[in-house]
Amino acid sequence: MSLWVDKYRPRTLDDLHYHHDLTARLKSLAASGDFPHMLFYGPSGAGKKTRITCTLRQLFGAGVEKLRIDQRVFMTPSRRKLDLNVVQSNFHIEITPSEVGMYDRVVIQEILKEIAQTQQVDLNAKQRFKVVIINDADTLSRDAQAALRRTMEKYMNNMRIILCANSTSKLIAPIKSRCLLVRVAAPSSEEMQHALEYVAKREKFTLPPEASQQIIEDSNGNLRKAMLVLEALKMQSPDMSGPLSIAKPDWETYCHKVADMIIQEQTPQRVMDVRAKFYELLSHCIPPTVILKTVAERVVDKVDESIKADVMHWAAFYEVRMRVGNKKIFHLEAWVVKVMSLYKHSFYGIELDDFED
Amino acid sequence: MVELEMFQPTGLLGGDIDMHRPEDAEPTSNGLLGLAPSPLVSAGMLENRPSGELQTSFYDTTEQTLVEEAFTSNGLLGTTQSNDLLQSCSPLSQDDSLPNVSQILREYGNPAKSSDIPADSLFNGDSAAERLARISIKATTYDGKPLYIRRKREIRRRDPDSSSRQQQMGNLLDVPLHRLMDQLSLTTATKLANPENHQEPSRAKISQDKLWVDRYRPRVFADLLGDERVHRETMAWVKEWDWCVFGKKKGKKRARDDQDLDYNDEFHRPRERILLLSGPPGLGKTTLAHVVAKQAGYAVFEINASDARSGQIVDDRIRPALEAGAAVGGTKPVLVVIDEIDGATGSGENVGGFVHKLVELTSDKPRKKRGKKDPSANRPLLRPIICICNDLYASSLAKLRQHARIVRFNRPADIYIVKRLREICENEALKADSRALTALVGVAKGDLRGCLNTLQFVKARNQEVTETTIRAATIGMKEADTSMTSVLNDLFSPMSKKRVKEAGLTEEEETRYVDRLSREVDGSGSTDKVAMGCFEHYANLRRHDATFSRYEKANRWLTAYDHLSGAMRSEREYSLMPYLSYFLVPFYTLFQERGTPKVERPKDDYENYLKTKTNEEIYQSLSRCLRLACGRRGGDYRHLASEQVLRLEFAPYINRIISPPLRPVNRQVIRPEEKALLSRLVDVMVSMDLQFIQDKGEDAQLVYRLEPPIDVFVTYDGKRTSDISASRYAVRQLVAAEVEAQSIVNHAVAVDKYRNSFAPPEEAQDESRGDTEGVEQDGKLMRPYQLPPSRVPAKDTLADIKVDIADRPPVDFFGRPITKPIAPSGKGGSGSAPQTKYRVSYKFHEGNSAAVRKPVKMASFML
Repeated sequence: MSLWVDKYRPRTLDDLHYHHDLTARLKSLAASGDFPHMLFYGPSGAGKKTRITCTLRQLFGAGVEKLRIDQRVFMTPSRRKLDLNVVQSNFHIEITPSEVGMYDRVVIQEILKEIAQTQQVDLNAKQRFKVVIINDADTLSRDAQAALRRTMEKYMNNMRIILCANSTSKLIAPIKSRCLLVRVAAPSSEEMQHALEYVAKREKFTLPPEASQQIIEDSNGNLRKAMLVLEALKMQSPDMSGPLSIAKPDWETYCHKVADMIIQEQTPQRVMDVRAKFYELLSHCIPPTVILKTVAERVVDKVDESIKADVMHWAAFYEVRMRVGNKKIFHLEAWVVKVMSLYKHSFYGIELDDFED
Repeated sequence: MVELEMFQPTGLLGGDIDMHRPEDAEPTSNGLLGLAPSPLVSAGMLENRPSGELQTSFYDTTEQTLVEEAFTSNGLLGTTQSNDLLQSCSPLSQDDSLPNVSQILREYGNPAKSSDIPADSLFNGDSAAERLARISIKATTYDGKPLYIRRKREIRRRDPDSSSRQQQMGNLLDVPLHRLMDQLSLTTATKLANPENHQEPSRAKISQDKLWVDRYRPRVFADLLGDERVHRETMAWVKEWDWCVFGKKKGKKRARDDQDLDYNDEFHRPRERILLLSGPPGLGKTTLAHVVAKQAGYAVFEINASDARSGQIVDDRIRPALEAGAAVGGTKPVLVVIDEIDGATGSGENVGGFVHKLVELTSDKPRKKRGKKDPSANRPLLRPIICICNDLYASSLAKLRQHARIVRFNRPADIYIVKRLREICENEALKADSRALTALVGVAKGDLRGCLNTLQFVKARNQEVTETTIRAATIGMKEADTSMTSVLNDLFSPMSKKRVKEAGLTEEEETRYVDRLSREVDGSGSTDKVAMGCFEHYANLRRHDATFSRYEKANRWLTAYDHLSGAMRSEREYSLMPYLSYFLVPFYTLFQERGTPKVERPKDDYENYLKTKTNEEIYQSLSRCLRLACGRRGGDYRHLASEQVLRLEFAPYINRIISPPLRPVNRQVIRPEEKALLSRLVDVMVSMDLQFIQDKGEDAQLVYRLEPPIDVFVTYDGKRTSDISASRYAVRQLVAAEVEAQSIVNHAVAVDKYRNSFAPPEEAQDESRGDTEGVEQDGKLMRPYQLPPSRVPAKDTLADIKVDIADRPPVDFFGRPITKPIAPSGKGGSGSAPQTKYRVSYKFHEGNSAAVRKPVKMASFML
């Protein structure tokens, strides 16, 4: 018995609920014997990893589900030890290089070389190659991506790489050109409705249509989130009746609170308060880019039409800065001050400039 | 004293002026050379001096050089006798024509000095001996004991009264007294009118063989400069050793040390056997230690940074020195001075470290323990040890601090240092105005050594000590080390008037801030921290900034700073480093204001960092749980364990999933729908290794804590979100018991599955799985369970890892199963028992260790 999100996860390509044309393509690819490197991309919760595992199963059979989980220790050139969780079966290996942060290049070089240089020894294996799955490929550093590109060509005989990323924009062009790009779009609301009903049916309860509608709206195309919300909802109010309140993740609520604070008042004191809130969010390990994005979206919703573009422009500006810099809080606050100033200017009109000292 | 010597050889003025008109003597002496210290000071210094010693006070040495200078500069004495000199003097005076003043001065000065030459020439080698021979007449007039005469003024004062004065008078009778007096006053007058002249002779030669720091190093206790109490405290501590070292009892006047009476030491040592002197450099810590040791009658054994300072040194050098009690070839007891101890190696917990060994040396414990068996191993410490450090709170000294008496040095008030510097300048014939000296002291921050070195440097270049020369000489000294907070304060507030004065800036220079501040920021050595400080402080200021324009600018600078520093680090272009400080300077124009509160040390960011680390660890343990669950029960949670998903989606919802609205009722009377909910909850929790663990809260109440504590992720600002009902103790207890039970079942299932995989298939089928029915009583759990009748163990597989060792089938050393011969006549006759057995396990709930909390089969008690 496990969480629904896991329990009702499709295991084979045939079980998949939506994107049937994509499924057909994957099937034919797996059957052709000429399997390319692949890059799955699409929004979070759209089903990329599910499709990858399904494809693997199609390729190698049930054997891929026998997994080992190891912790591998790597040594950086500066003699620092790094731990990396490696999930592997006889046919594939799955790594998340972003776990080790800036040392991902070492991981890529070591693991890939190691796998690439050993041939498939299992004679019964359906394919002659092994598959390496690289999760969060869009967080790979430039160095790591550069390390990847040559390996992808050189060891094509022994190995295929499946990259999984949210967006292709952070991947360098040489990598993109070496892969077959597979876009996994977020499911439409009908498809999500279908999936939710499927789970409800299997769990033997009836899901009121208004509840499912609310879940779908709230989860914004993220099926994983929808499943989690559904289960949370079911746990919180088992009979699924009456007015249902779909809980947002707490960090999101908190971000909205911050946005409201920014709009309510523009004083130095408020700047300090907002800073404390940002610190609270950061200490909960919410990625600063996500914070900035969530707050900015909320602020844009609330402010006057004339400054919407500016607010977003500065959010984008400081997000870029933030990625280069070290101190995320500087950039968050810089944005807040900028927005407060913009807001004040638009609220009181331009003549305020005359008072500037 | 000096003027005394000058006039004595003439025999005319020495007695008269000094005895009867002391007020006349002073201007005269000043007028003559401008070098002599005032008689009062020198007398005070001299009183402390043991009469037999040659070079005790620094004034002695000044006298020597003074004499040498005066002597060699005019070059007269080498060729002519002093009598000739006097004769050459007399015609001038008899002519009644106004003589060249400087000439007279020389002539007066030199015969005066010549009386001392025997004393000095003892040290001056061959040529001095010649001189001695030549002017020995005068030496003999002083009872042939010039050395003693020079030191003891009483004798000397009395001397002119005796016959020797008569003799001298005879020599000089051809110059009338009133004429000499006239000349003297004339000299004085010209001297005052023309101050440059008199310096020439002394400037001609500068003795460069010695650093001023050494030359003017105090040699007796009374010469020490600084806080008297510190000196006395140090001295008092050293004196406390007297009983132990010299066998003297404590003096009667020490009755106030009553507080130490309760402390009885068999060797009558002070309670702390180490003295730790701490303070900034250049205040005279080392000097104090040496002076005090000497004054108290010890020979100093010094270990400093030039020696290796490993733990080995304590054994090899310090211990032998201490145990020998006296230096080699000396009779004085030894006192160990360990200088610059804060740089000692082997800090912290290292047992072999220097400090550790040192502390060990002072404690008697090992000796008492071993008793008589090995008396040579650790003899008690019977000699004092003085340690000197700059940074009292250096990590290496942590241990020592508890065992040492600590004496802190503070910067003495500037006027005392200035006074001393002025005296020295006078001695060295260096013209210095007190403003310049005050500036120097200000720049050096009280560092006397730095001041002296600077002065000597100035002197070596034949400059006068004026403010400009001081500025030029101390450029490097200025902002040598600035702390982060002082830099921050400088950024946010304009320079104080005092600082402006100290730095000697003109109005215009004061307004130029970029260079000064950027240098300061660089000097602090931690630009990042300064930036953080700026960030944390700026919003406290300028509350009336209507348009936020200042804030905007400040933030632009900060983000630009971060941008550059981030790029610099990632590209490893560290040559950009010097530019970083300029990004913080604009805060001065934006926010500087007088009278604002002091900038505090930035701390928010670090606190936040710590919190983040804690939470990250919780996330990590959660993801470990997920991965483990994935490996153990075939769930596929690992896609949930990836960072982003875990933090943004999974953590908030899993908290809601595991906190359903349950009523705290006995599980027997629970409603069926609630029961379903409960079992679902238990399932989820077990499958993900989440547990409620009983714990004591802050108010000593029992609470059930979630482990890993993932509920922090729905806790913002210290309170949980409202839509998750806080589960009560009773509910958690219920859930905890259920989870416990379920995990045991799972355990058993896993074991059985493992066993059944080797059992005949038909028997494996009647195994009942997922049985949650159990008889439960507060911690103890008894569960009827079907035991498979036959057990055929085999090789280890992965699933085996989680199997309790007690449940594992017995194997021999090679991993082969031990098949028990089930003999019907075996003990207990268990072999003949019916096929259905109950498996009973026992769980002990008390105790602190997980080792006793694991379920144990009853069978293991029966053995």
